Amino acid sequence: MRRSSQLVAAAVLAVAATHAAAGNSAKRVQAFARLPDWTGLWETELSKSITNAAGRSEVFSLGNLGGHPPYNPEWEQKYQAALTDPVAAEKQANSFKGCGVGSPEYIRSFPNIMEAPMVFQVVVTPEETLFVMDHGEVRHIYTDGRHHPGKDDLWPTPLGDSVGHWKGQTLVVDTVARTAGPVSIFGTGEVSEQAHFSEKVRLTDKDTLEDELTIEDPVRFVRPWTMKVHYSRVRDIDRLIPYDCEADRNPVIDGKLTISPK
Amino acid sequence: MTNSASKMRLELTGPTGKAMKPSKRPLALVATLLTAATASGHHSGAMFDSQKTLTLEGSVKAFQWSNPHCWIQLLVPSAGGPVEWSVEMGSTTELYRSGWRPRTLKPGDKVTVVVHPVRDQSPGGAFVSAAGPDGKPLGLPKKVDAS
Repeated sequence: MRRSSQLVAAAVLAVAATHAAAGNSAKRVQAFARLPDWTGLWETELSKSITNAAGRSEVFSLGNLGGHPPYNPEWEQKYQAALTDPVAAEKQANSFKGCGVGSPEYIRSFPNIMEAPMVFQVVVTPEETLFVMDHGEVRHIYTDGRHHPGKDDLWPTPLGDSVGHWKGQTLVVDTVARTAGPVSIFGTGEVSEQAHFSEKVRLTDKDTLEDELTIEDPVRFVRPWTMKVHYSRVRDIDRLIPYDCEADRNPVIDGKLTISPK
Repeated sequence: MTNSASKMRLELTGPTGKAMKPSKRPLALVATLLTAATASGHHSGAMFDSQKTLTLEGSVKAFQWSNPHCWIQLLVPSAGGPVEWSVEMGSTTELYRSGWRPRTLKPGDKVTVVVHPVRDQSPGGAFVSAAGPDGKPLGLPKKVDAS
């Protein structure tokens, strides 16, 4: 009996040793060591601006990150028509909702989530970089050397398909197959499914992450559209707080946002 | 709904507290959406009159810790009986980072709440600030906005 116990103990130790040996390889550890430390929580300029008990910014201008979208004549005409349509403008101003019933899907899409009012966590590994948004979306940027899937294996999705590589301490990202639609949280531009997104993400100082985004769209743009988005480190919370959106009390009635009494 | 004059004060002020003139600019898509007077994480501020502030004094009926907005249901005395106001606040994360907690307010608490009222005259508004019976502000001081 005693001998059998010793044999079992020896077997357990052997299994444990095997598991220990299956840790990160020296090659992977070295790969980790070459990566920049973006560990932690970050937030967009808009998030930083509205982080108060009112949840609103009185002076923040959403600006126009990339300036005027470089539309071709056909899409410029549509853009200008929208600009001068007060009915459409009022309807949009009254019905815009970032989550809950009535919120448009594009709010949850790339690149909108990269400038939306969110806190997010960045996880950098040799194989991929993850942008984990507090609203639940996760961008997977694969850096293991793969290419985008082939034509038959790829279709448009709100986040598109992203692959990347490291150029020094800068993450260079290539994204395709993003669903057609607005590319800014408040609808400054619209792209087709053929849009191609290039990003250069890097630290500009220890507390600032910069994403230089260039959008090319052979269907709607006459030239590349470039903008820079900046993120600040979040230090006043120590965890990514889930942003569920289940108690929306702002129904849209007759085209206008209202407050439900309960 | 009749508002109690003794429990509610109406002031016409701008975001910085300075007197403001109503805008006469026509609505336009980009002008409205990109340089809106208020920006929120969830919806536009079009439903609120950011040029007006109301000071409400009442007791808390409920404090809803929820997303996309937290809410204070405030009972404000009036000649015709208490009027229930719905005060829209930020998200739970925004409140938490501003020093608020789910139990910062409880039913029956006496508070003074400043709001930007809704434009349709219903008893509701966007939260600006709040103070307890001792006059001390609730939560942390508001951070300086980015611009």
